[in-house]
Amino acid sequence: MSQYGTVLAVVLVAMAITFVALFRERDDLHRLLLTDLAEVVSLAIIALVGTDLAEALILPGLVVGISELMALSEVYLVKEGLRAVPERLMHIEIMDSAPAILAGVLVVYGIILSGFSGGVVAGCGILFWFFCKGHDEAFTLIETASGYAWALWIVAFFVFMLAPAYWLFAVMLAGGAILLKVMAKMALIGTMRGDRHV
Amino acid sequence: MFDLPIEGAQLMALEFGDIVDYFSVYTGTLFVFALLFTVLAIVSLPEKPMDIVFGGDAYYTKDIPLDLLRFQRFMAIACGLATLGAMASGDIFNFTLFSSMIGITNIGIVAAVRNRHVLEAAFQYGIVAMVATVPLFGGAAIVLASTGTLSIWALAGAAAVPLLAKIFLVLGVMGEGMAPFYIGKAEITRAPGAPYVLMIHVSSLLLFLRVVEIVLTV
Repeated sequence: MSQYGTVLAVVLVAMAITFVALFRERDDLHRLLLTDLAEVVSLAIIALVGTDLAEALILPGLVVGISELMALSEVYLVKEGLRAVPERLMHIEIMDSAPAILAGVLVVYGIILSGFSGGVVAGCGILFWFFCKGHDEAFTLIETASGYAWALWIVAFFVFMLAPAYWLFAVMLAGGAILLKVMAKMALIGTMRGDRHV
Repeated sequence: MFDLPIEGAQLMALEFGDIVDYFSVYTGTLFVFALLFTVLAIVSLPEKPMDIVFGGDAYYTKDIPLDLLRFQRFMAIACGLATLGAMASGDIFNFTLFSSMIGITNIGIVAAVRNRHVLEAAFQYGIVAMVATVPLFGGAAIVLASTGTLSIWALAGAAAVPLLAKIFLVLGVMGEGMAPFYIGKAEITRAPGAPYVLMIHVSSLLLFLRVVEIVLTV
């Protein structure tokens, strides 16, 4: 049996374990958590292919999985009537002093990296900042920036297709735009800390 | 087309590199159906369900709040667009992505309804839809691993796709489209807002017909 076949068999066993766990679990919240396990198995099957194309397929797979998880969590919250906001949030001294330095370093390093990975690094910085310092209705601004960045990313793709001679411009545009977009999306997680609407 | 009797004549083929989006009479018909119901979701107003009071002549109309209407309509249109994508796609992975988008929007159509039974059913359905992404993406990944391409056009008639991948694809679509899970759906369709809730059925039916075509072709 080839290496691929062997590992595929292992993953299929993992899948069977997940299904058995889901079948035996009776609590809704735990079931919701177990579906995440199923998601990881499906990503593992894609990752097994091990080519550039497979790498490109993991991202949409992940996005779809996360959006399904978020939609289901919303349904769960409404279904169970969970509205209470946590009363006491964690606050320790390091959360006052660290954000400025750490967030600054991460954002600058992220901008140097650019692209997806840069977006993630810079996003982590801003996420940390919002998490520690709180936020003041930054949602709209971040969402707007993210929307424009997405449009620029698409524009870059059109440049690739219609005017391939300007590929360098398109690469820079796409790299910068995706940096902004991923950063904005990640930063939003930092604002989800006991807010009234989340 | 592809020497398959169910496909009918080739109507159109649009090439994007190795991925070719095509319409045969079969997929074209499915596309037109999806388009028709999307347009219906855009233009129609929701029904107002009537409840009769037991033991008397009285009845009352359930009113649907405007924000609920807007949300349901948006989700129904999104579901229609995802269905259109799934009908037109010539790439197996894109097809699976559109399938899971149909799964998400199907939950979305009923998620705003404040009815415990409906939400309970939607939640359980959502769990099935999420778990179904495993065989769905798994099937597409096994197709890629065993043949080196995801293009239905390139795979057509070659019989290169292993049976396991085909079974996975059908299983995944069953989970997303809920073909054998109508018991779960019976509760979901208690949600008011008829033309939008109808989209749940239409999308899963069309999705199932499309996966049959794909499995027979590749």
